[in-house]
Order: sequence, then C-alpha cells, then structure tokens
Amino acid sequence: MYAVSTFVMNHRRLFHGPPPEPPPQYEVERELVYPGEMPEGATPQQVALQLLATLDLDGAHAVARPFTAERVVVNRQDAISPRRITYTAADKKVRVEKMIFSGAGFFERMHRRRGYQHNYVLDDLWAISVDVTIVALILLALSGIWMWWELRVTRRLGALALGAGIGLFCLLAAVL
Amino acid sequence: MKFPHINRRTHLYLGLFLTPWVLMYGVSSIPFAHNDYFEERDKALGVPLWTKTFDGPFDLGPVTESGSLKQLGEPVVRQFKLEDSSYGVYRQGPNQINIYVHTFWKSTQFKYFIDEKRLTAEDRRFRWEHFLTGMHARGGFEDGRFFHTLWAVLIDAVCLAFLAWIASGIYMWWSLPGLRKWGWVAVLAGIGSFSIFLYRL
Repeated sequence: MYAVSTFVMNHRRLFHGPPPEPPPQYEVERELVYPGEMPEGATPQQVALQLLATLDLDGAHAVARPFTAERVVVNRQDAISPRRITYTAADKKVRVEKMIFSGAGFFERMHRRRGYQHNYVLDDLWAISVDVTIVALILLALSGIWMWWELRVTRRLGALALGAGIGLFCLLAAVL
Repeated sequence: MKFPHINRRTHLYLGLFLTPWVLMYGVSSIPFAHNDYFEERDKALGVPLWTKTFDGPFDLGPVTESGSLKQLGEPVVRQFKLEDSSYGVYRQGPNQINIYVHTFWKSTQFKYFIDEKRLTAEDRRFRWEHFLTGMHARGGFEDGRFFHTLWAVLIDAVCLAFLAWIASGIYMWWSLPGLRKWGWVAVLAGIGSFSIFLYRL
C-alpha cells in the first residue's frame, strides 16, 4: 500500500491531472429530517457525535470549519467511502453525501491516515500498525546491512552499492 | 547463474543502494505519526518558530483570479535569491498570496498583501523533525530541474524496489520449506488484519 500510494503521489499530474486539482466529488446518498432533538446549546462537536450515532455512522470524523451551530458539516473518514454529512439547524435537514471512489484518492487517504487523535479503538489499532511498520522498516534496513556483512562473498559489491547510495543521498540532501 | 541466485543478489544490492531512503522513510514517519508529541515538546521550549526578516513595499503587478499563481512567486524568490529552492504559491484569501520556499534545511514563508502591495518574509527555525518530514514529503516531477527530477526518479525506484522486495521475499520464503507454516501464518495474519482495516476503518 505504501509503495503504490507513494508512486501515485509522486506522479500527481498523471493521476489527478494538471493543477489545480479538483476537489473530491460527492454524490448524495440520503436526505432526511433529523428525527430527534439536539440538546440546547450543543456545540458543533456534540451535534456531530449525535448525528453520527443516529445515522449509524459513528467513527473517526472531523467537524469542518467554520464552526457554527446553524450549519454543521461533518467529514466522516472511511477507507473506501468517506462521507460528508451536513446538518442545518433551522429545518433539521440532514444530507449524507458519499465520496465518489477514485483509486488515487483511496491510496492517498490510506497513506496519510495515522495518529492516535481519534477516540476509536480501530483507529488506535491502525496507528499501532503504522508504528509497527515504522519499526519494521528500520529493522529491515539495519538487519539487511548485518546480513550482507555476514556474506563475505558479497562484501565488495555490497560496499559499492551501499557507498553509492549513501553518497547520492548525501549529495541530494545537500543540494535540495 | 540461476534465477534464485539472481533473485537473492538483486534483493541484496538494491536494498543496500536504497538503504538511506528506507531508513529516511522509516525515521521520518515517526514525527508524522506522533505529531502532537513533537509539537508539544517544541512548544515547551517557548521559542518562536518564525522570525520576520523583511516587511516592506513590493509590487507583484496585477493579480488576477485566473492567472498562474506559480508565476507570481517568481519575482519574489528571485529578489531574495532563493530561485534554486522549490516553492509553492497559494491564495490565502482574496487579498493575500502566500509563497512557501522550502529546502531540506531551510523554509521561508512570504506573505503578499495585494491591496497594500506589501510583502513580509519569515524564516522558520530549523527543527530535525521538519528536516525529516520535509524529505519524506518531497516528491513529484513538476519542478523539472535536474536534482529535483533525480530525487523523484529515486522515489519511483524505492516504490518499485519495495514491490520487488515483497515479490523476491515471497519467492525466497517459498524456497525454504521449513519456514512455510509460520510464513503462512504471518502472510495470512497480515492480509486478514489489513482487510479488516479496509472494511471497517
């Protein structure tokens, strides 16, 4: 996933077209009048939680700015189908929109998803899996060097490959 | 030379050549994954992140809604002798254009106030986590200059190498019958947990 998504991000023009990139496209999934009552003086964050619970969409989300009590827009994260939920307080209307699937968008979302900031177990587990991937990546590189050193027959060519890589990396780090 | 030999040697030499990039992507993912921790740590220092280095009149000429933003940044980076760096231009509001100039070692932010024809420049304090995340996030062929393109080519090489390591790793595992059972457990556990994440995350 990280290899493919990095390739996609490295070829943004190929996968997204020339800049400026268009915003993601949504299609209306359902519209309804909110059946319950929002608590008096509820913050947009509280409205978002209640909305998601009612719609059976509880999960990692963010409330879009600007934060107003009159109109609350919730971006519900999802690996395949992120949703945008718009609630208008005046008429209690709720619109649920689903993001139209795009392969490039999917890979970028998966690549960028990380951290322990959401209060959901599954998101924490994903964050742990990201940490495990980080540790594995570092271990793979270091254990690879150790395994190479154990093989006497490959030492010379291996040193050449490692030296060339380090040299090129340092050059690019200096000039970029 | 037989295929298993070529496979093992390609796996090894490709890995050794790309070791700095693999380590860089691994280490630089830590500040991305634990951004809050690093921000809190830096905030505790009580040192401002940005230092203003210029505030004065500057005329970028007419700024239209439809014109190329990238071109607008050119006279600014030229004036401040930063044309070797990569930069991006963004419209911050109807009356403000921001120009971010970035190298792995230094970042400068320009703010151009269209109505006042005024420009400010601020340098960002060096932080190792920014150095690493800047490297991690750098990519793309849009810049077109030699070293920028070379970096993008090497990113492609790393992506393809990862796919090659996965394929050659599976091949080498399959060639060792003694490890098949535990290998299957690991592969299926990985595919299973990733599928659950895809379905539920």
